[in-house]
Amino acid sequence: MSLFKLFLIFCKIGAILLGGGYVILPIMTSEFVDKRKLVSHDDVIDYFALAQSLPGIIAANMSMFIGYKLRGKWGAIIAMLGVTFVPFWCIVLLASIISTLINNSYIQGALWGVGVSVIALIMLTVREMWQKSKRDNFFYTIFILTLLTLLIFKLSPIQTILLFALLGVGYKKLREGKA
Amino acid sequence: MIFVHLFLEFFKIGLFSFGGGYATIPFLYHISQVYNWYSLDELTQMVAVASITPGPVGINVATYAGLKSAGILGSALATVAEMLPSLFLVIIVSKLLRKFSDNFYVRSLIETLKPISCGLLTAVAIGLLKPEIKDIKAMILLAFLLLISWKSKKDPLFYILIAAVAGVLIAFFKL
Repeated sequence: MSLFKLFLIFCKIGAILLGGGYVILPIMTSEFVDKRKLVSHDDVIDYFALAQSLPGIIAANMSMFIGYKLRGKWGAIIAMLGVTFVPFWCIVLLASIISTLINNSYIQGALWGVGVSVIALIMLTVREMWQKSKRDNFFYTIFILTLLTLLIFKLSPIQTILLFALLGVGYKKLREGKA
Repeated sequence: MIFVHLFLEFFKIGLFSFGGGYATIPFLYHISQVYNWYSLDELTQMVAVASITPGPVGINVATYAGLKSAGILGSALATVAEMLPSLFLVIIVSKLLRKFSDNFYVRSLIETLKPISCGLLTAVAIGLLKPEIKDIKAMILLAFLLLISWKSKKDPLFYILIAAVAGVLIAFFKL
């Protein structure tokens, strides 16, 4: 894949990235796993957790991981510039118009719809992740504990990732010791 | 001089903000207090605009704040400065993962990240249900979107467009 092509793909991704960064996961899966078969579904899921473990903006981190995977250092830089290209010009050229448009009832209607579609997209992604994972007792345990920690104890994503990454690796180490 | 400050402030945000776009807002608030680049009112407006334009909110807000502070150059500088720390970290982490892919700890870590990812995203979906699905209209639209995709998956843009059109129609007919 040429760097220019990569730039164009990331421009497209940036342009349809509406309703918060989490939609990056369904978009990445659709673009790089389903359509182009350049990256495996497993990789995308790993990058999602890694992108949240690093500081910075999750959607940008994820784009850079994929960019690096496909074309190394330059791929990461191109991904970074590509994914922000359309949003950048939207803000620079339209900021003053948009701040008055926000109160228009049709715009608000469209935004309401986009908000609902984001939930549908995330639910479909969870379903797909679930179907494609190797689900053993280890998977179920970590999944349920992660979910409970986030929902009940309200730990931040980064704290939760660190906690369970340590627990999971520690558990595997202990089991290896016994085997 | 403003460009140096602008670069440093947004580099700092990129380095120290964890957990997505809205985590950058406390930093932007701090900036509005220390420098006279934009007012608090403008910050609220920037967040609103950043949430509805395409792209990650955290980056859009940086673009907008840069624009308010120092014009289009400031805008480009703030946007890039905020992503630079991640760029270095992503490259380092990717290299380490590749180099140590046979290492026991790296393999265990990757295996553990999968159920964690699933849990994180499920929590996001549950967290969004309450603020977004407030009435029967939203429930019907969500159910409809899930139904049309249960058998075959479609392009994410497909759902976004259908839902946006549904929203405009609802506003048009004042349903």
